[in-house]
Amino acid sequence: MKVLIVSTLVYGLVQSATLMLTALGFSLTFGLSGVANFAHGGLYLLSGFLAWGLVNRLGFTFPLAAAATVLLVALLGAAVYRLVLRPVRGIVLSEVISTFALGVALVEGFRWRGFTTYDFSLPPLWPGEVEIAGVSLDMQRLGIVGAGLVLPLALWAFTHHTRVGLALRGMAQDESTALAMGIDSDWAATLSLSLGAALSAVAAVLLLPLGIISINTGYEVLLVALAVTVLGGLESTAGMMLGSLLIGFAVVITGNFVGPHLSEVVYLGALVLVLGLKPSGLLGRSKEIEERV
Amino acid sequence: MRTSGVLAAVCALIVAGASAAAEGDLTLGVPTALGTIEGQDSLRSAQLAAQEINAAGGVEVGGKKRRLEIVSIDTREAEAGIPVFDALAAMEKLIAEKKPVAIVVGAFRSEVLLSAMDMIAKVKIPYLCTIGMSPDFEKKIAGDYEKYKYNFRLGLSAPYLVGNLGRMLEFVKKKHGADKVYFVHQDVAWAKGTVGGLSKAMAAGGWKVVGSDAYPTGARDFSPSLTKAKAAAAQVLVPVFDMPESGVLVKQVRSMKLPALVAGFISPAAPATAWATFSGEIDGLVNFLFEPGSIPLATPRSQHFTDAYAKAYGEATRAKLSGHGPGPSYDAVFVLADAIRRAGNTQAEAVVAALEKTDAEGAIGKIVFNKTHQVIYGEDPKQAAVSLAFQWRAGKRRLVYPESVAEGALELPGK
Repeated sequence: MKVLIVSTLVYGLVQSATLMLTALGFSLTFGLSGVANFAHGGLYLLSGFLAWGLVNRLGFTFPLAAAATVLLVALLGAAVYRLVLRPVRGIVLSEVISTFALGVALVEGFRWRGFTTYDFSLPPLWPGEVEIAGVSLDMQRLGIVGAGLVLPLALWAFTHHTRVGLALRGMAQDESTALAMGIDSDWAATLSLSLGAALSAVAAVLLLPLGIISINTGYEVLLVALAVTVLGGLESTAGMMLGSLLIGFAVVITGNFVGPHLSEVVYLGALVLVLGLKPSGLLGRSKEIEERV
Repeated sequence: MRTSGVLAAVCALIVAGASAAAEGDLTLGVPTALGTIEGQDSLRSAQLAAQEINAAGGVEVGGKKRRLEIVSIDTREAEAGIPVFDALAAMEKLIAEKKPVAIVVGAFRSEVLLSAMDMIAKVKIPYLCTIGMSPDFEKKIAGDYEKYKYNFRLGLSAPYLVGNLGRMLEFVKKKHGADKVYFVHQDVAWAKGTVGGLSKAMAAGGWKVVGSDAYPTGARDFSPSLTKAKAAAAQVLVPVFDMPESGVLVKQVRSMKLPALVAGFISPAAPATAWATFSGEIDGLVNFLFEPGSIPLATPRSQHFTDAYAKAYGEATRAKLSGHGPGPSYDAVFVLADAIRRAGNTQAEAVVAALEKTDAEGAIGKIVFNKTHQVIYGEDPKQAAVSLAFQWRAGKRRLVYPESVAEGALELPGK
């Protein structure tokens, strides 16, 4: 029983960090620019195949390939804003449709090109295992927990204590005032899309080495990101973190003490329950503000 | 005016010519999950068989040689969130538009297969499936033969998989003294059926079943089962999965240091390329190939299929052949062509009667259908079709089951 409890704590943290990393890019982009980037899953998948290609076709070491992937996908994120989103900026439905179409095109493009075999596997960034009170944990998962703690803190520091971060937040809070203060709206949105894309690539190079890269991951990642972000509160990164912890532990507790087949029911049930009680999500305030207005 | 009249006449002649050519061909439909490796490999195998038959002049029907044409549609049924009726709609579209004389390969998911049988009962064309494994396939035919007699299965069924896994694990019990088993499986019909049957059989055979967990398709964390299996001192872990995400399980077994023999079916661990994919982390893992194909039998027909596949699609593609679907899909086209030849026409009733009398050598062993239209699987390829189990050892897939084709004995981890 002791081992099961320790395992629940350890793998609950891993699961929470996994969800957090999966959703971070989506949440950040929405929080900073108000754009719901539905190409998030497609960019995640692209990052996985890009890193695989750099390692297996161009001979990069995996750490170098991972860094290059994050950089390239960040640039792609900026290009997505300039080429796809800028023409429809401000028309929410068009933004959703165009990013969703891009995501589907990426995922189905890989399927069409035959990336459906079981060959696509990335090595771990941190090989080896550790023992925590009788429970074995691989270093890659430990690294994921570390990244799940460090990245949100680093992003919080960036958005609260740097000029660029403050400018992005200003734009997110009140675009007209931010424009009056000389902040370029397009520049801010480009940067937030780029940052979100980079974070999807970070998640890919950290999480995909746990298994093999499969096409459907592109859709699953988007659904997870949406669920976690909506649960926490769309515009709240802290809410997203809280949502990740809630779902992560709910899934592992269900798996360990009830049965893994019910884990998805529990996670979707938690989503329905929270939204029923608090429509803006755990830490979101959009609905309350709307009602007050 | 005159010119346009001539052009119209020429076009009409071309169209008429094309129609005449199309009428001469026998169309076989392949509605399956083409986004899966099993679906793609099965389609390629069926196309290879059709090419070989066409190269030999085609199928003789009532004294005339007719070429085979394969038409396919992606049912997407293996993707999360695609409901059964979407897959059936794709199949219905293919049947309505292309009017195939028969279906080969067919449904990927058992849930789709069982529903497809009802559609086939209405359109009345032979349906030779090679992937869906549910035991209810045979139950439906046994329950209403007249309605479901058009359905045949060449791929392995869940009951045969249960028998084969059970016999192989019995060997582990006798030789190595293991008697504690833990099951982990995908929460889908064929895997549930397999584990349900195997669990009962093994418990009756003196095994202690220390746990059994189902995971939804797409699951990526198997720590609950591995923690409990370790705590219960399970000596054998039996995984039954056909989803790519089960690759996580392969790696997690190693990282959580489970000191148990892993013996079952994990689709990503089946191809010859899996050793490189998993960087050798699958050493000692025992995996089933539901049918020969990825590893051929030492029979001329089986060897021919593997060589011809490599020649047609390249050795790299052959090395990635999946463990379920290709061999029976290749055989299905030959079996059907032979039945049409013997029937002398493409009328479903006549072809079904001829299919029931099939007695042929195929890539999967000897092909004979039982009364409920399932190809009989056994332990000797000279007497029946066979499925194979191999153990990963030092980068090679060494056959360990059945005894008639085994290259060595199964070894426990650490040996």
